[in-house]
Amino acid sequence: MAMEKLFKDEATEEKGGRARMASFVGAMAIADLVKTTLGPKGMDKILQSTGRGHSVTVTNDGATILKSLHIDNPAAKVLVDISKVQDDEVGDGTTSVVVLAGELLREAEKLVATNIHPMTIISGYRMAAECARNALLQRVVDNKEDAEKFKSDLMKIAMTTLSSKILSQDKEHFAKLAVDAVMRLKGSTNLEAIQIIKKPGGSLKDSFLDEGFILDKKIGVGQPKRIENAKILVANTAMDTDKVKIYGARVRVDSMSRVAEIEGAEKDKMREKVQKIIAHGINCFVNRQLIYNFPEELFADAGVLAIEHADFDGIERLALVTGGEIASTFDNPESVKLGHCKLIEEIMIGEDKLIHFSGVEMGQACTIVLRGASFHVLDEAERSLHDALCVLSQTVNDSRVLLGGGWPEMVMAKAVDELARKTPGKKSHAIEAFSRALVAIPTTIADNAGLDSAELISQLRAEHHKEGSTAGIDVISASVGDMAERGICESFKVKQAVLLSATEAAEMILRVDEIITCAPRKREDRM
Amino acid sequence: MASPAVQAPRSAPSKTESYVDNKRKDDIRRANIVAARAVADAVRTSLGPKGMDKMISTASGEVIITNDGATILNKMEVLQPAAKMLVELSKSQDIVAGDGTTTVVVIAGALLKQCLSLLNSGIHPTVISDSLHKVSLKAVDVLTAMAVPVELSDRDSLIKSASTSLNSKVVSQYSTLLAPLAVDAVLSVVDPAKPDLVDLRDVKIVKKLGGTVDDTELVKGLVFDKKASHSAGGPTRVENAKIAVIQFQISPPKTDIEQSIVVSDYTQMDRILKEERNYILSMIKKIKATGCNVLLIQKSILRDAVTDLSLHYLAKAKILVIKDVERDEIEFITKTLNCLPISNIEHFRAEKLGYADLVEEVSLGDGKIVKITGIKDMGRTTTVLVRGSNQLVIDEAERSLHDALCVVRCLVNKKFLIAGGGAPEIELSRQLGAWAKVLQGMESYCVRSFAEALEVIPYTLAENAGLNPITIVTELRNRHAQGEINAGINVRKGQITNILEENVVQPLLVSTSAISLATECVRMILKIDDIVMVSHLSLFKKERDCLWRLQSFLLRKPPQRGKRVCAYYEKKKYL
Repeated sequence: MAMEKLFKDEATEEKGGRARMASFVGAMAIADLVKTTLGPKGMDKILQSTGRGHSVTVTNDGATILKSLHIDNPAAKVLVDISKVQDDEVGDGTTSVVVLAGELLREAEKLVATNIHPMTIISGYRMAAECARNALLQRVVDNKEDAEKFKSDLMKIAMTTLSSKILSQDKEHFAKLAVDAVMRLKGSTNLEAIQIIKKPGGSLKDSFLDEGFILDKKIGVGQPKRIENAKILVANTAMDTDKVKIYGARVRVDSMSRVAEIEGAEKDKMREKVQKIIAHGINCFVNRQLIYNFPEELFADAGVLAIEHADFDGIERLALVTGGEIASTFDNPESVKLGHCKLIEEIMIGEDKLIHFSGVEMGQACTIVLRGASFHVLDEAERSLHDALCVLSQTVNDSRVLLGGGWPEMVMAKAVDELARKTPGKKSHAIEAFSRALVAIPTTIADNAGLDSAELISQLRAEHHKEGSTAGIDVISASVGDMAERGICESFKVKQAVLLSATEAAEMILRVDEIITCAPRKREDRM
Repeated sequence: MASPAVQAPRSAPSKTESYVDNKRKDDIRRANIVAARAVADAVRTSLGPKGMDKMISTASGEVIITNDGATILNKMEVLQPAAKMLVELSKSQDIVAGDGTTTVVVIAGALLKQCLSLLNSGIHPTVISDSLHKVSLKAVDVLTAMAVPVELSDRDSLIKSASTSLNSKVVSQYSTLLAPLAVDAVLSVVDPAKPDLVDLRDVKIVKKLGGTVDDTELVKGLVFDKKASHSAGGPTRVENAKIAVIQFQISPPKTDIEQSIVVSDYTQMDRILKEERNYILSMIKKIKATGCNVLLIQKSILRDAVTDLSLHYLAKAKILVIKDVERDEIEFITKTLNCLPISNIEHFRAEKLGYADLVEEVSLGDGKIVKITGIKDMGRTTTVLVRGSNQLVIDEAERSLHDALCVVRCLVNKKFLIAGGGAPEIELSRQLGAWAKVLQGMESYCVRSFAEALEVIPYTLAENAGLNPITIVTELRNRHAQGEINAGINVRKGQITNILEENVVQPLLVSTSAISLATECVRMILKIDDIVMVSHLSLFKKERDCLWRLQSFLLRKPPQRGKRVCAYYEKKKYL
């Protein structure tokens, strides 16, 4: 029975078992790829671009690795997506979420092989996830009331997050930096106000937090290098010439003096513009576009500090932190909001000169200057610090805290196991599988540290059989230890997000029973 | 109980899996280490005063002869990521300390070699990495304890350390000349208000072919590698100069908007020519009125900075003209001359001028340069004029001088000296070896092998000098064990002497940063277990975004017809 061709040429279709197999394999491959980066002794990866320059990135950050992968497998793409969402939402746990989803699928594969319907597995997983979440909720600690304790919680969380990154050796230093920066935000999650500047040279320990704003630009020639009580006008305007913006416009003149007149007129126009700008009563002018020599000199004459070619990020952030607005016309000085700060001066970091704005309007703003041996180190340090900042700013809002080191997974696994025993029917197999998947996370942490995971996990399980245990894996001393004592903490929000999004992703992939690949769109090969 | 049921299926597959995984990881790590060591071996022979040079022929056919580790590595186009990290490492050392760029790579190579054998004996990479960190902290302590404080007023010590750095270069025979020069150059730009900061950009190096390196000199003032524009017979020597730096052009007017002059009859042509003359003449009169007699004119690509006509008038007005000054140099020039740049003829006022005793065009070899000396209220800058018999020598002299300048700068930043000649490394090795005996477990084992690894520096020094490395290193070790912490290899005499007495000293910062950067880099290489190839699509997208942004930026201000994007950037630079 010849079937009509349903799809276009080159479009393919995979059905039933094959489709499921393809998505399981793809998802597991991705999970295995990032698995070794999990935990304090996780390894790094080199990302080598195949493009020009073969640029190299060294990273430990799950989201960064996955983001740059070029993946064809649709299921694998789902995992990349959840890691990206995790990164956007809470900033940390990007590796955990993928590993957990991978383990859930690995377990599901076994169940499917024993002829359990995917839908049964899904409903089992759902029950288990709900139960696990409740188990966590019962054990959370909330120290919001006690400012002192809350701060130490934040420190612990920051240190736990950083301990798996390149910054681990100086984690106390960086945890303090991150906590200080986040505390300045006073509850807002607007990380824009925290600026991170990377300058090669020195060592990671030389990094510091600076209250204020640092702009990586130069002050114009002959202008004051230091201004107190600065009034800042942030602008995006052309400071070369105001031109007629019609293409091909030209003037016809009949003598050289007329040309000179026009040139003079152009200069006058510019002068007028500069006068208008100065008439705002400012002593600092920051422009996104170039400031040419002529206006630069006019500003210098008026004693105004002019900074040209500040990039998009630079001026938007500067406008934000100094409380000004970006202006592009200067006819109504009253309506323009100027920015203020106490002091502008030129500072030197390493070999470079930067402009430092201190005492800015928005007290939340601060700058973290990262120093390090090479760009690889700096880039990775920035990613790590960013993770820590994200987690902290989330924790400031949702101050519920859990212990770390595999403790939450064991608590959840225990609760889920109990649920499995109470649940009749095939679902209980799925619930049991869920608990096994949860245990895989501490297992991976132990494996990565080169420890005997089977031994440690069984010890840990025995510990957790007692009520109210605080045991987890202590990678440093290679044993099961008391997490509360060692100050290893994680944010509840991160764990919850890991649990829920991993379950959802696994569920989504499980539901698939057919993959249709559309015919690629024809286009000439550009590269 | 559920636990055995849970445990069994979990552990079984994980066993086999981890086995396969581990194998691949090890392979990657080994490949990385091998590649990185290959890089280190490439520069090993150029270490030390008797180190050899490398000749590099670049893709464009240019030939470079150098002994500077950072330069060699920079020109080697390595592709392997781990090898690239070693290149970066030497770059970082160049940024931090400026010298010791070869040393840092050689140390990293030796540490990697030990790591390989530690890995082979089954030690987990993170354990190795942690012990390395401890080693680096301890090493910095040991070095600091060995260091001798130095005062900036102690010019001799500074010169000694600069000449140690110069001794290993091609230009070593000139170290007696270049070392004091470097010291003076740096000391003259130190701002007494901020004694810890030195901006090496305040030291300008001008290269001029001809003469020998002997003729290199420090100029208190400015040097331009250009001749004065005297095609129309302008002056070439001006005393009591009043100097103006101008950013406008002395040429017929040109508007930003496109213009065309319509000539309808013959008489008009005459008139236009006359007007042009008058226009330029009036400008020059204004300039002359302020008493200015030297003009530095910024380069412009939009229109001629000066025309033959204006040069002629300027010559008549006895004004010395230097044209085509790059925009980047304006800041340096104005700082030195203590003047302000003038961007419009209307603003040409006497208070914006700089004053100097003498501006003079000097013939040097086949070319000419302009020197400005005796500047009144000179800013804290200085210029070094480097001479040499061929381009290769000049370039190498410049690089060596840069290293020497950096060495002096290090001393200004951190005022400590340490012995050279392999003494600090062997002392480190000895003390770390002793420390290893106190430690317990794996760490002790790792620390001991790293202590051994540090002997690579004296070993290589001896080897490069043609001495028997084993005899030298063992004797050195022996002398250090007897408490002579400053015993080092005297390459000139070919024996072990107290190296401090031989005046072979280097800044502490060079040694400490070499150790800490090398360990940091090795730790990073150790922690890598996989290389993931990333499609350049994501990169491509970034570039495209950039281009698009640029385009939209340009659309708002359409550049002149036929001009390309790069020309737009040129414009930014020159106008």
